[in-house]
Amino acid sequence: MDKSVMICRCEEINIDEIETVLKLGAERFDDIKRITRCGMGPCQAKMCFKPVAQLISDYTGKSLSEIPPARARMPLRMTRMSVMASNQDSGSTVKAVFEDGDPDDK
Amino acid sequence: MKVYDVIVIGAGVVGNSIAYHLSEQNSHDILVIDKSFPLAGTSGSTQAWVWVHTKTPSYYGELSFYSSQLYPYLERKIGDVEYKRTGGIAPFFTEADRERALKLAESQAKVGIDIKVLSREEVLEKEPAFSPNVVGATFSKIDGNVNPFRLLELYTRAAKNNGVEYSFYNAVIDLEKQSEGYLVHSQKGTFKTKKLVIAGGPWTKQIGKFMNLDIPVKLVRGQVLITEPLAPLLNYTIGGIRQATNGEVLIGYSMEEVGYNRRGTLDVIQETANMAISFVPALAHANIVRTFSGVRVVPNDGLPILGEIPGNKNLYLATMHSGITLSPIVGTLMSELITQGETSLPLDPYSISRFNRSRQEI
Repeated sequence: MDKSVMICRCEEINIDEIETVLKLGAERFDDIKRITRCGMGPCQAKMCFKPVAQLISDYTGKSLSEIPPARARMPLRMTRMSVMASNQDSGSTVKAVFEDGDPDDK
Repeated sequence: MKVYDVIVIGAGVVGNSIAYHLSEQNSHDILVIDKSFPLAGTSGSTQAWVWVHTKTPSYYGELSFYSSQLYPYLERKIGDVEYKRTGGIAPFFTEADRERALKLAESQAKVGIDIKVLSREEVLEKEPAFSPNVVGATFSKIDGNVNPFRLLELYTRAAKNNGVEYSFYNAVIDLEKQSEGYLVHSQKGTFKTKKLVIAGGPWTKQIGKFMNLDIPVKLVRGQVLITEPLAPLLNYTIGGIRQATNGEVLIGYSMEEVGYNRRGTLDVIQETANMAISFVPALAHANIVRTFSGVRVVPNDGLPILGEIPGNKNLYLATMHSGITLSPIVGTLMSELITQGETSLPLDPYSISRFNRSRQEI
């Protein structure tokens, strides 16, 4: 595949950039993420994990099953700060997160 | 078997800086060995303040001050690490804290750290987005921040260019003292070295046990929130909050003693979100993209432990909480100590032997 193919659409990271980190000795998605920002954007690696795992597999010879997934962190999708801070309310915050709905709708 | 001049255990911001500064002399065979990969541990889970002005006692503030002075020089050598000397604001919210702030300014002035104690109006003039509930702040021009990802990548690349070898994903499983030098037993084999540096961050205690050393450090977890990229909102590095070059705002200042547990917890995330809004009300409308959590090492008295370990010739230790701030000075001084046996600034206050002394005094 052409080295300029965009793997991470959020941060616009191409195959070439990912391969430079593999050449440094990276073996995991998160190693590549921290150095290139691949997977650090709004989708949080939901789009780019699999193609990156394939590149790691091709480069290191490891099978796909040996490559650990990207570390998932709260809040999993973009969430308003005011929603996260809502623990002054008596209701549980988890409930509040869902009640607030999609921040993009506002 | 090949004999290295120096093996550094740990490829984080401390170990990598020592390896890089040693490699500048181009006269050593150096190996850096790490259980995973640069940035996988503490160095990759930090707000990366280069923070000076509230560091006490003043001789520790002075060490941090010198380190921040070295950042522009380091950047000229290894490349753009996005070091920004923004100036630092540590806000306070009660009048009682103003007394403490004035005392801090007085003691830090003795070592050349210039601190101004700001009124509410002055804080808001500098940082219009800050909450008007602020009572005042300490301010210093010397504080700033750096991009830890760029820093570690460029240390590694510069050291590699200077001939440093790396062995990643290779945990050290035992250490052995020899009549001259040390054997490093790792998952991928045994290495021999004349000099050995322990820079294992949160794994320092375990590595010390291989040499029957009880290194007096503990672990603390810190949790941080990251927003989506925002238009320029903050001008300074604020105690607790900074805005990165790409517009993301990082928020958080928490310390929990939970061992190696790096999970995020909802209670701390909520408290951190509360703090964000109480400091900078406009952040209420920002989206959080991610949270992260990191485990840091903290020496029991809070101060760095640097130097050769008494009774173990050519065995060196470098462990500290504020590795990002201290990285350039620690790399410089440790490389001086390892190659010349003396340093341009005294490391005596940071010797591990201070812990024995205090034990005897008790």
